[in-house]
Amino acid sequence: MKLLKCFARDLKNTAGFLPENLMSLKKIFVESDTWQGVAFILALALILGTVSNLGLIKRFIAGEFNQAFISKDQFPGLVFISLEEAGDLWFTQKAVFIDSRSGYEYRRGHIPGAISIPLEEAKEKKGELLAIIPREPSLVLYCEGGDCLSSLNLARILHESGFGNLRIFSGGWKEWTAAGLPVAKESEE
Amino acid sequence: MSLKSKPILIVFRLIVGGVFIWAAVTKIADPLSFAQDVKNYRLVGQTLSFLTAIFLPWLELIAGVSLIIGVFPRSSALVISGLLVFFIVLITVTMIRGIDVNCGCFGTFSRKADFLLILEDSIWLLMSLILLFSRENDFCLLKRKS
Repeated sequence: MKLLKCFARDLKNTAGFLPENLMSLKKIFVESDTWQGVAFILALALILGTVSNLGLIKRFIAGEFNQAFISKDQFPGLVFISLEEAGDLWFTQKAVFIDSRSGYEYRRGHIPGAISIPLEEAKEKKGELLAIIPREPSLVLYCEGGDCLSSLNLARILHESGFGNLRIFSGGWKEWTAAGLPVAKESEE
Repeated sequence: MSLKSKPILIVFRLIVGGVFIWAAVTKIADPLSFAQDVKNYRLVGQTLSFLTAIFLPWLELIAGVSLIIGVFPRSSALVISGLLVFFIVLITVTMIRGIDVNCGCFGTFSRKADFLLILEDSIWLLMSLILLFSRENDFCLLKRKS
């Protein structure tokens, strides 16, 4: 114990953590300079942040980023669709469905005919997995639903790889099953 | 080596300030991607993620520049320390919740929010705290009281 105390004292001395070398927390907080500086930094950040992003702020207020932070100019052809639209596309077979959830979740149940492309695997084995996705007709990507983001992030990867006509079914698996629409398990296919 | 050792303090200021400037510039270049990174943590909604992406990078940039050039160095060290404590808590909570997410700390150069990142942030925090509590004020355009 004594040895530890001696070691701690030596360490403090070596590092210069001596009371006379340091300002006390109380003094730092009491100093008006400290708070003036903090106010200055915050105010400047607020002003520059607003001025430099005025265009984006206007677009946000107009509702462009209500569903995702995706710029229409950067990601043309990427749209969000509702359950009704997803159902129509599935029944008329006008789109290929892509399941971005994990392989385990896919095996437990998925939209019939959907291709499993887990987001994590798409990042690691991009070329290999993307080769199995047909380029036509349009693609509908879905994940669990609610606040899941893997379908959106997979859509970004697909877009960067040259895929157009991407649709994100944001209601996802939860909304699909809640509506009583057809489901499949891996063993049935 | 004592805290009165000026070269060490200058090096700390350059390192911490530089890291914050670099982190800020990568985010300012693409605010929408950063907003999505913030949203990926699943702690705040669309509006707060957007506001964070608009203002946080500028806060980092101004704090980093202030620290290096010595305008309100103690205040900038305080802001930076506060942000780092927040980041460490955020990453820890995210790991406990089992959310696999990109940290979003350096724009497209970001990596996974994991234990190594906590360690990295802790090193910056230690340097920043030393600057916060130190009496030295080299490079200060506005001299502070000691």
